[in-house]
Amino acid sequence: MIADDMLEVAVAEWAEAAREARDGGLPFLELLTVVDRGDELDVVARMSDASGRLSLGLMTRVAADAPRIESLAAVLPAASWHEREVAEMFGVVFDGHPDPRPLLLRGTAGAPPLRRGTPLAVRLERAWPGEVEPASRRRSRQQLPPGVRPEWLPGGSA
Amino acid sequence: MTAPTPHHFIALIEDACTSCLICVQECPTWCISLDSHHEEVSEPGARRPRTVSVLDDFRIDYGLCMYCGICVDLCPFDALEWRPRVGYQAEGRDDLVHDIARLDGGTSDG
Ligand code: SF4
Ligand code: SF4
Repeated sequence: MIADDMLEVAVAEWAEAAREARDGGLPFLELLTVVDRGDELDVVARMSDASGRLSLGLMTRVAADAPRIESLAAVLPAASWHEREVAEMFGVVFDGHPDPRPLLLRGTAGAPPLRRGTPLAVRLERAWPGEVEPASRRRSRQQLPPGVRPEWLPGGSA
Repeated sequence: MTAPTPHHFIALIEDACTSCLICVQECPTWCISLDSHHEEVSEPGARRPRTVSVLDDFRIDYGLCMYCGICVDLCPFDALEWRPRVGYQAEGRDDLVHDIARLDGGTSDG
């Protein structure tokens, strides 16, 4: 179970924790990503052994307004692409990354697409096919269509 | 619990659909849409006519669908079901929108 073996570490110990896991028999990086919690971002990595049967999750938190963390690329070269993707999708800066170019996108103009606060333009431009009443008559956030967050709307708050 | 079925295509069982819009409203990618209208039916012996919803068209945009199965799970009338079917290549983007005529996949058995 992922929840049982998730080790939370301080941001300052992030790279050291990955090094210890690598040297302790978990040399493969399976995943490195971010979960947007609002005020904070969870940075999550999962490392495994050669058989893939043993694995460990590492987790740390960074502030959402200025997310910064040490790159794992020096410890685990495989982290390089994952970090480039997380950088462009979530706006996280990886200190010491050897090649911080965008991986998939040409540029995100300061609006990382996978952050919850970044409006998904197509959701605002297109009419929701499930509309039965005019949008102006919707009373609460429960009535927002799926995939639309209240803070994207004029006068909305998080 | 049902046995896992292949994630191929979602078939619409037209006669079971009541146009209730639940699938349309719950689909996270907004890829289902439908048109319907109301009709009055008078039944012999009934005191007044009944209003029924008649489905005119039902579309799934397979260019957006992520095969999450939420629509299939939530339909209260079992009008959507997974059906193994291959050959969903399309000439273009618009061709990935399957309308009511294509949603039984020509393999409908019900
Ligand atoms: S499978 Fe998911 S994405 Fe596809 S039509 Fe159903 S609810 Fe929408
Ligand atoms: S949820 Fe089922 S019955 Fe309701 S509109 Fe969708 S397919 Fe039809």
